[in-house]
Amino acid sequence: MMVAVFATMALAILVGQFGPRWLAALFLTACIGLFAWLFLFEIYSPEWGFRMPWLQTLLGAPGREG
Amino acid sequence: MLGAAVPEGDHQARLGGRGGRFLARLNYLYLLLMLVVIAGILTAAMVMQYAKGELPCPLCLLQRVALFGIAYGIIQNFRGRFSYQNTGISLVFAVLLLIVASRQTLLDIYPRPGHEYIGTAILGLHMPVWSVIIASTIISAYALKLAILGGDEHLADYPAAEFPLLARLADFGAAYVIVLCLINLGSAVVQCGFGECHTMGYKLIENGLPGLWLK
Repeated sequence: MMVAVFATMALAILVGQFGPRWLAALFLTACIGLFAWLFLFEIYSPEWGFRMPWLQTLLGAPGREG
Repeated sequence: MLGAAVPEGDHQARLGGRGGRFLARLNYLYLLLMLVVIAGILTAAMVMQYAKGELPCPLCLLQRVALFGIAYGIIQNFRGRFSYQNTGISLVFAVLLLIVASRQTLLDIYPRPGHEYIGTAILGLHMPVWSVIIASTIISAYALKLAILGGDEHLADYPAAEFPLLARLADFGAAYVIVLCLINLGSAVVQCGFGECHTMGYKLIENGLPGLWLK
């Protein structure tokens, strides 16, 4: 899938430089779509979903400590 | 006089022929410098990959794609006339870069098995943290440019071709970015094949052609 992201980007830049602008925009749109899909795929965990449980931001309830 | 159209000549007179041309030149120079910086960052990433053997992770590769997207918007401004549409494209990719880099920074911020900052630290900061800084800097650079030169549609009156030296340098820059992108495409094929990307090694080198279809 990463290859598809790079391929669409390379095509967008090449066509943008030497070909019709509408075709470059088409490749660029495809690239953004694949980019978003791959990013979500990479960060998704079957166990945690999109959460990041290693970041503990919850403070102890007042009065519990000390 | 409400509703009266402003004559074209007044617009030119207000800007001053020389003033407008100077701003347009400044605009193209600014864009060219941004292109050079982005090409430099991408080159440095590739040097670290090939010279130091630091394989890029999937999110790192996505960050490279985002940088190429920013470069695309800049290159397009040199192809024809300046357009804020191209600025918008660059900004979209700058935001994507910021999102991916922030997520990766948060992913590795708490070292644990399988997750820690890897690779060479430059000035004590690892690559994803640098990416956050780079994305923020690019967005800030565009904000600064819009604050100084924005709202001036007359920039589109001066195509890049009117500044031959800048246009020639931008052509070299564009050619260099295209070569970098093609090398990265080849590198992605060798490292990831047509399946998922891993940082254990180059699939194609380790497994031969069948490695291309490994998951």
